[in-house]
Amino acid sequence: METKNIYLPRLAEITDIKQETPDIKTFKLKLSLVYKPGQFVEFSVFGEGEAPFCISNSPTRGPGIECSVKMTGKVTQALHELNIGDTVGIRGPYGNGFPVENLKNKNILFVAGGIGLAPLRSLINYCLDRREDFKSITIVNGARSSNDLVYKDEYPIWEKAKDTRLYLTVDCQEDNWSCMVGVVPRILEQIKPVCQDSVAIVCGPPIMIKYTMPVLLKLGFCPEAIMTTLEMKMKCGMGKCGRCNIGPLYICKDGPVFSYAQVKNYVS
Amino acid sequence: MPALIKMTLRILLNRVKTDTLLKKNMTKFIKKEDLYKLLNSFLKDFEIIGPKQIANKGIFYEPLESIEDLYLGELFAIEPAKKFFLESSECLFHSGFLDGKATVQDAPLPDKRRIIIGLRPCEAKGLILLDKVFDSEYKDRSYINNREKSVIVGLACAKPDKSCFCTSMDGSPTGSRGMDVLLFAVEDGFIVEIYSDKGKEAFSSLGKEPDEHQNKTLSAYKQKRSELIGKNFKVPGDLSPIFESDYWDKVSFPCLSCGVCTYLCPTCHCFELVDEGRKMYRCNDGCAFSNFTLEASGWNPRPTKKERYRQRVFHKFDYFKKIFGENLCVGCGRCIRHCPVKMDISEIVSNAPSGAGK
Repeated sequence: METKNIYLPRLAEITDIKQETPDIKTFKLKLSLVYKPGQFVEFSVFGEGEAPFCISNSPTRGPGIECSVKMTGKVTQALHELNIGDTVGIRGPYGNGFPVENLKNKNILFVAGGIGLAPLRSLINYCLDRREDFKSITIVNGARSSNDLVYKDEYPIWEKAKDTRLYLTVDCQEDNWSCMVGVVPRILEQIKPVCQDSVAIVCGPPIMIKYTMPVLLKLGFCPEAIMTTLEMKMKCGMGKCGRCNIGPLYICKDGPVFSYAQVKNYVS
Repeated sequence: MPALIKMTLRILLNRVKTDTLLKKNMTKFIKKEDLYKLLNSFLKDFEIIGPKQIANKGIFYEPLESIEDLYLGELFAIEPAKKFFLESSECLFHSGFLDGKATVQDAPLPDKRRIIIGLRPCEAKGLILLDKVFDSEYKDRSYINNREKSVIVGLACAKPDKSCFCTSMDGSPTGSRGMDVLLFAVEDGFIVEIYSDKGKEAFSSLGKEPDEHQNKTLSAYKQKRSELIGKNFKVPGDLSPIFESDYWDKVSFPCLSCGVCTYLCPTCHCFELVDEGRKMYRCNDGCAFSNFTLEASGWNPRPTKKERYRQRVFHKFDYFKKIFGENLCVGCGRCIRHCPVKMDISEIVSNAPSGAGK
């Protein structure tokens, strides 16, 4: 029997593009895919290369998948130049995704920084669509400036949802900004979310993760109750190419979602 | 202990790829000229790959046009035969446009059967380790095709090099793991041990049963060769307690980040996926290079030689062992023999500070 080519992507047409911030676009693709919140795909822009992106919409809101891409390097630049109707290659989904079953009947604290909201948005909308399965939902979302906040049109919906609180923050005070000011760890110290029966789910730049973890521990969250979704230069997505080792774990295959207890020795 | 269960499951799921092994090994004696005649007769049905002496360069595995070029002496090939299983650059799929629509298509797989002769026991064991990565949960079809199409005819080491340390890696200069057939060079020919159906199919027709004297020679050969390995050490059971140690700064200081150790290693398998426009390639890559983990944002999780060399040692002697139960090193000594600054991974591992669990 011939083995299937694990590197061969499926073709997917771009059906919508939304400019989230000056350098972040959300691409909607026509593709039927069975996945969990927190999983990622390898995007192929033919002629330029592949890059991994998390799926940012909830599986409860199909059909099609959405990925938010910040223009940073060669592949993302090429991706930003694509138009509706263009075709990309998709491999995946890869990774473990969030342990949604273990989150049931818990208070959930989402902590996001910048584009780190993308994987959390998938889970936030998943939780809101199955609201009765979870206790309170608290979302702390920070960005460098108000221009860098993503998924702005969903904030009013999140705020209105049952037993759900949204805290928005920017690093420095701006004109016409009425929400909070300060980096994410400081905001957490101010709002003091409950730690009993709670799980914290953190995603953001390495520097935010580094300073957020001690604050969460101080607030009483145990390392097992802090989940984070990590990113590294994942090429193959299947635990072979050797880039994303973190201890004996491959971020692409064993992660990208880990508890802080699993990775605290390796994240410095 | 979900992590432990997961690890055990993974070990069970990663079935070790071996061809159907014979219930009982077959042993034959074959004269050198008869072996060469047999190989000559295979040339029309098989591609024959073996070590060849190239003037002013050394020994290299190459497809042989004439069996006269086959070198079955004591010297080691510079590169491992890994390149015939994981090519240094290999097309995975084609992409293009047809009638204005994007298309993708599998790259064709080579069809010809091959005999790879002259592999040393360490290298054949290296293939078993690579099977755990490429013939596991996600199966790499081109690697598997290369494995299935190849008969491995090994050559037991007559004279191990001073940088060899296979016995410390649970191997042996006469080890049969990963072999279909193993040749032992004796005075006037070869004693041939046949382990698998594939080997039997190719080699059982020739030669005769060894006589008593030859059988004695074989058992003495097997016993003596392991004693010739000079380097013997025990790898610490768990290196994680010294992950943050200054030791890695010290030992990685001379490293030039040239990556020759990764290219010449029979078990190093890290790769890059490169889109060349209409063709996607899987190309060799290595943890020695700073851009291996460099992200587009400028962030590099392994920014200096310390983190990169530590990754090499930990991947081989800690992480792989935790996942698959054995070291990702076969002790062939290539990275020691060819390192431009004489770094010695066997010394680095055996001298690791005592914080590491034994």
